[in-house]
Amino acid sequence: MSDVVLLSHPIFGVLGVIMAVWVFVEALNADSANAGRIRSAAYAVAVLMVLAWVLGGYWYVNFYGADRALILAGPFPWAHSLVMETKEHVFFITLVLALFLPIAARANLAANKSARAMVLVTAALIALSGLAVEGAGAFINFGAKAALAQAGA
Amino acid sequence: MANDTQALDQTTAAFALSAAITVLFNTLLTWIKELSEPFHDFMAALTGHHWITQGLVDVIVFIVLGYVFVRTGTAARMPATSLVNTLVAAVVIAGIGLAGFFLVA
Repeated sequence: MSDVVLLSHPIFGVLGVIMAVWVFVEALNADSANAGRIRSAAYAVAVLMVLAWVLGGYWYVNFYGADRALILAGPFPWAHSLVMETKEHVFFITLVLALFLPIAARANLAANKSARAMVLVTAALIALSGLAVEGAGAFINFGAKAALAQAGA
Repeated sequence: MANDTQALDQTTAAFALSAAITVLFNTLLTWIKELSEPFHDFMAALTGHHWITQGLVDVIVFIVLGYVFVRTGTAARMPATSLVNTLVAAVVIAGIGLAGFFLVA
C-alpha cells in the first residue's frame, strides 16, 4: 500500500507539470477555438497538484519517518536536511500557483494580452517548480539507496 | 510582457496578489516554524503534523486574501504588468528563501 502511495504522488505531480506545459503552449496560441481546452487543462493542473499534495502528504506523514532516519545515518544526510526539507516546503508554492491557474484562465486570453501573460507566467512557474520538486525526489531516493548500500542491505 | 492597456479582471488580479503574498508567507512561516520549537509543536498539535497544518494554512491564506482583495479592489488598481512581475518576483524570492534557509540551517 505504501509503495502505491509513494509512486502515485510523483505521477500526479508529473501529470500536473505536463498539463501546465499544455496550458502554456495553448495560451501562446490562444484563440476562440482553444479557450475551452485552456480552461479544462488549467482545472486539471489544479486537481492533479491537489492529488499529489494529498497522496504525497499521506506518505510523508505516515511512512517517511523510517526513510528520514535511514538517510540521516547514510553517506548523504543532506538528501534529507537540505533537499527533502526544501522540497516539502517549495511544493506549497507549486500548489498555490496551481490553485490560481484556473482563476487566471477564466479570462478571454485571445483578447486580453495581460491575462494571457498572467496565464503564461503562472503555467511556466508551475512547470519549473514542479520539475524542481520532482528532481528533488530523485535526490532523496538516491540518499536512501546510498544509505541502504552503506548498511549492506 | 503584459499589456497595461488591457486590465486583468478583478478576481484574477486579486488572487494573483494573494498568490504572491501567500508564497512569501509560506517561506516566512517555514522559517519561524523551523527556528521556534514551541511554534513547530503548536502547528503539529493543530492537525497532528506541522506539514499538514502549514499546507492548510497556506490554502486558507490564499483564499481569504483573494476574497479580501476582490472585495476591496486593491489588486485591481495595480497595473497588470506589476502584478505579473510581483508574482514572478515573489516565487523566486520565496524559493531562494527556502533553499537558502535549509542550506545554512
